[in-house]
Amino acid sequence: MIEPLKVLIIEDEALLAMELESLVEDAGHSVVGWATSSAEAMAMADATEADIAFVDIHLSDGPSGIDVAKYIGERKSSTVVFMTANPKRIPDHFAGAIGVIAKPYTMNGLTSALRYLQEGVRRPPPVSARPAGFTLSPAFETAWAPAA
Amino acid sequence: MEWKRTREPADAWHMTDDLHVEHGKGDPFAAAIRATRMSMIITDPRQPDNPVVFANDAFLRLTGYERHEVLGKNCRFLQGPKTDKAAVEQIRAAIEEETDVSVDILNYRKDGSTFWNALYISPVSNDKGDLQFFFASQLDVSDRKHSESRINADKDRFEKAVKERTAELEAALDAQTTLLHEVDHRVKNNLQMISSLIIMQRRTIRDEGTRRSLTTMLERIEALSTVHRRLYQSKDVSKFDVADFAKDLVTDLLTASGRAEISPALDLQPIIISAEKATPIALMVNELVTNALKHAFKSKPDGMSAGRLGIKMSQPDGHLNIEVSDDGIGMADANGDASFGMRLIKSLARQLRAEIEWRDTGPGTKVVISIPNEPQEKGNVS
Ligand SMILES: Nc1ncnc2c1ncn2[C@@H]1O[C@H](COP(=O)(O)OP(=O)(O)OP(=O)(O)O)[C@@H](O)[C@H]1O
Ligand SMILES: [Mg+2]
Repeated sequence: MIEPLKVLIIEDEALLAMELESLVEDAGHSVVGWATSSAEAMAMADATEADIAFVDIHLSDGPSGIDVAKYIGERKSSTVVFMTANPKRIPDHFAGAIGVIAKPYTMNGLTSALRYLQEGVRRPPPVSARPAGFTLSPAFETAWAPAA
Repeated sequence: MEWKRTREPADAWHMTDDLHVEHGKGDPFAAAIRATRMSMIITDPRQPDNPVVFANDAFLRLTGYERHEVLGKNCRFLQGPKTDKAAVEQIRAAIEEETDVSVDILNYRKDGSTFWNALYISPVSNDKGDLQFFFASQLDVSDRKHSESRINADKDRFEKAVKERTAELEAALDAQTTLLHEVDHRVKNNLQMISSLIIMQRRTIRDEGTRRSLTTMLERIEALSTVHRRLYQSKDVSKFDVADFAKDLVTDLLTASGRAEISPALDLQPIIISAEKATPIALMVNELVTNALKHAFKSKPDGMSAGRLGIKMSQPDGHLNIEVSDDGIGMADANGDASFGMRLIKSLARQLRAEIEWRDTGPGTKVVISIPNEPQEKGNVS
């Protein structure tokens, strides 16, 4: 059994955050915090220990998710995975994030992504197939999925 | 015109020699130059500062000076504050090099008014090649200059107008793109919310039948979600690759079903369709694949024996063919047309003007759909 993940949710839409929390917990992981704005997110990143931060780009204070990702990336407190309906807004370098789960994801797509991330974070590189709707950043593409 | 030749035989020039001394009244050549409407002067570079030694009446009319005011003077009295320095320099250089020159230059009359002068100057030498005179003709081209500058002003105005209009259109396009992004963002977020609501609702329900219903509903909505996600991943939002979609859908449904004993067999050519066909095709494929998963492998005699779920997509002669096949129990016992899934499939087929056929392949079922498709455009989808 691989050790489960501690997850930080940064999402301004309560309904989505709520459902994401349930799915994360159903998959055996734990949610250590939920933030809706960039300020809240940065404070929470400092105060908690998470393995993965799911970061929406659109937060309650605007499209500040990228700044949050940069902030978390500099501190190396956890690793960011973007979760957005607008993947085209992500800069080419992904601000240090692992990749992006494009919204709308399917329930199974998210569960598979969690498994993939768990393997990748705990015992890289991941062994399961990369789920549909999940895109790796160029840096993690090299590390986790080198071209065959 | 005779006088524009730079090197004349010497005997032709004894006549002009006469001109500047105001003799030779009987010389028809000199008389012609005196009387022509073309303004002309002659200067003598052998005297200090190259003064005017002859000016015809046309020159005096053009410039407004008296003859005694111009004879003995250098031509620069025609220049003024707005005369182009570069043009003056061009003339100076030509005179120094003893070559001819043709230049448009702004000149001033005695009364201070200006005119555009199409000036032509050429050196005149004797038969030994010694420089004798400079011959200059002036043509008032103010009208041409004015219409030129009017045309330039018009051109500038047009260019400015075009630039402004382009900027307006670019701004409008930006606004449209932003709007499109915003709407797309909302559609996708709302689809996500709908799925979330169904999942949350399902969590609270104990009754197995109701849960199954909600699961089927979730699958349908997730099929739409996958369409939207895929649609916006492509560079061209008006085109959609059904094969990519089918791959996502089958992988997703198979892993979600947790039925590792069923293996997918995908034979997919990339097929680009227009975006408005994406939703009905996606829903139809979703119904067929979920049906196969739900019904075909339900009660195989040996329980969990391996099964095969195939999807084939091809595109012969302007048609898009989709085949969804399984090697399960077959549909002999199916309860006909009453159920919602079947009705949905058949209505979507009608919407797409598609032909659909269920074949008993013993073992299993093969559903063949043939949809008329517009000519494919290649390389539009990333
Ligand atoms: N691939 C298949 N193999 C075997 N039986 C099938 C297959 N596809 C459909 N059937 C039969 O046809 C019936 C009608 O299918 P249909 O999709 O209309 O209904 P359903 O899947 O039972 O419910 P829903 O309306 O939610 O889709 C099914 O109940 C099943 O018995
Ligand atoms: Mg069905």
